[in-house]
Amino acid sequence: MTICVTGGSGFLGTRVVTELLARGHHVRCAIRSAAKAAEVARRHSDEQRSRLETVVGNLDRREFCREFLDGCDVVIHIAAPLTGSVPALFANGVIPTRVLVGAAADRGIRRFVLISSLAVYGTQALRPGSVLDERCPVDRLPHLRDAYTYSKVAQELVCWEAHNDRGLPLVVLRPGVLYGPGRALLTPRIGLTIGGVLVQMGGRQQVPYCFVGNCARAVASAVDATGIDGMRFNIVDDSLPSGDEVLRRHRMHVGRIRRIKIPGWAIGSVARACEWGSARSSGMFPPVLTPYKAAALWKRLRFSNELAKTHLGWKPLVTFDEGVRLTVQREAAPGCGIGH
Amino acid sequence: MDSNRLRVALIGCGQIADAHLQELRRIPQASVVGVCDVHIDLARQAATRFGVPKAFDDVGSMLTATRPDVVHITTPPHSHRALALQCLASRAHVYVEKPFTIDAGEATEVIDAAEARGLRVCLGHDQLFDPAWQECRRRVADGDIGSVIHVDALQGYDLAGPFGRLLQDEPGHWVHRLPGGLFQNVISHALARILDFIPDRLPAVSARWSMAPDGPAFPTELRVLVAGGSCTGHLTFSTRVRPLRRSTRVLGSSCALDVDLDARTVTLDRAAALPGPLAKVELTCDRFKQAGRHLTVNLTRLGRHELHYFEGMHTLFCRFYEAISTDGPMPVPHRDAFRATRVMDTVFASCRSAAQMVASDRELVSGSAQ
Repeated sequence: MTICVTGGSGFLGTRVVTELLARGHHVRCAIRSAAKAAEVARRHSDEQRSRLETVVGNLDRREFCREFLDGCDVVIHIAAPLTGSVPALFANGVIPTRVLVGAAADRGIRRFVLISSLAVYGTQALRPGSVLDERCPVDRLPHLRDAYTYSKVAQELVCWEAHNDRGLPLVVLRPGVLYGPGRALLTPRIGLTIGGVLVQMGGRQQVPYCFVGNCARAVASAVDATGIDGMRFNIVDDSLPSGDEVLRRHRMHVGRIRRIKIPGWAIGSVARACEWGSARSSGMFPPVLTPYKAAALWKRLRFSNELAKTHLGWKPLVTFDEGVRLTVQREAAPGCGIGH
Repeated sequence: MDSNRLRVALIGCGQIADAHLQELRRIPQASVVGVCDVHIDLARQAATRFGVPKAFDDVGSMLTATRPDVVHITTPPHSHRALALQCLASRAHVYVEKPFTIDAGEATEVIDAAEARGLRVCLGHDQLFDPAWQECRRRVADGDIGSVIHVDALQGYDLAGPFGRLLQDEPGHWVHRLPGGLFQNVISHALARILDFIPDRLPAVSARWSMAPDGPAFPTELRVLVAGGSCTGHLTFSTRVRPLRRSTRVLGSSCALDVDLDARTVTLDRAAALPGPLAKVELTCDRFKQAGRHLTVNLTRLGRHELHYFEGMHTLFCRFYEAISTDGPMPVPHRDAFRATRVMDTVFASCRSAAQMVASDRELVSGSAQ
């Protein structure tokens, strides 16, 4: 089976490619630069390289997407920028998705797996302590969130449109916060870094982390699983840590950091003050923190991965303890976490 | 909608469009009636975030449906000419982001089309309206530094930023197809600060570009020397220097002014009155006093919410709209838009001819060595 992968040179993509090759698939990666394409090829053995193809080009070009998907059975669409302004994330994430999805629908592929994000949920309406599962609706006002979330929601909508209107056999995976060798352990789910100081938001709430190798396995499982078209899956680890726990591990393994802690009960007030300050200064201070964003990021919730376990036959093998150990070790060979 | 408000539309919903829409929100006499982008997703996100009533992916449809008084063009430069002409044909005034057009020939076409219809075209040299640059202009006009002899402008650029990375990854990116490559997209503001003090219509230009060692496979360093009749200027564009700064030193016949757009400060550099070692104490003391004044001014501005990054853009929009409403003088006259484009053409022609000379010299050297 030929599997076309976008974002194959990225943090998750490299692990997904390794996992797919290990499962015996033929993999074709679309990569933007020739240098990165060569780097992807170098990671693998001669035998695996014989089943790995890299093509250099841009996903926002129709002609390129058509050629890329020629003879393709399954598309795994991972490519999406993580940082930047809203227009930049739309230009480099949403628009290429629209072109790719159009080409995939024309081609009549067997499955289109979109790597979305757990961030897309509109958790504002959930009560503290609720379980966040796939029944929760997508955020209806994502433009009030951060640029990344807005672009991921838009990316999903483009794919669901193609699923509903053109019958694209779509499967959506929504990973939590990915961590692993090559990426920092501390993320906005723990707090915001302002001027080198971490402003920790709460600390007792569970953080939906997912070890990158675990996620790569879930993605590979979505290729073969049957009867899952039109479904969406949360991909988070078992036994999720709290924000305090992540910070404790960070202190233990990486080092101390300068930190100010905003207790959970005070987050709402701080967010309201920030929003007021931004409006009062006519945007001179950007609305970094608003009650809407705060409710989405730092509410006390529990995160379910049951659907993925049931339908994908997936299990997160690397525990948080082991994941932290692998993350803080020298990440000499990216992709090394997958073997665990 | 208030009928006295100018109806504004915008074409090209990329990064800089955010700054336009943000600043337009702060202008009560303007109302944004539509946004357009060839990619409808980009147009929709801009409309949603900035409360614009309509999003389009076709310019003609937007012009017909919204009948704007002014259109802001914030697309890549190769599309400026055609879009400006289309907007002018629908009787809208036009604000064009820098660089104005690909070359002076296109600039002439756009300006002629506007003048033939009695319409205005404004080039987006917004940094000339930054409060720090405005203060510099005022102090020069007040005679604080005597007559201007030389202007030294520095512009740093981060190739590791999101746009810089994109340029390095994509050899086919539109920036690489511009006659002046990366420089044409970026040097406008620094060049405008030099030209602001050079009265000549067409100053002499000499320029060199080069690639950075271990850098990407396109030129990323540029040095330009501009010589007018009474004043010269030097532009340093670099991707290698840190910190990245937008600063200018204006050297006069009696003193100099250091303009730092990032710190929003203007510092007067004058000769010491005291002799020998005391001069060192006097000059340090003078700078200390000025630094104290800058701190006070910027703290006051912070309290008054006057430290918006695009304050200059806001001022330029207001003055452009005022010029339209009152038929008054343009903040960036048409002749300045043409001159800036013409000088850019000369800069890149000079760079190309210097690069050719270097290449043929190398051939000669390698030929004689064999």
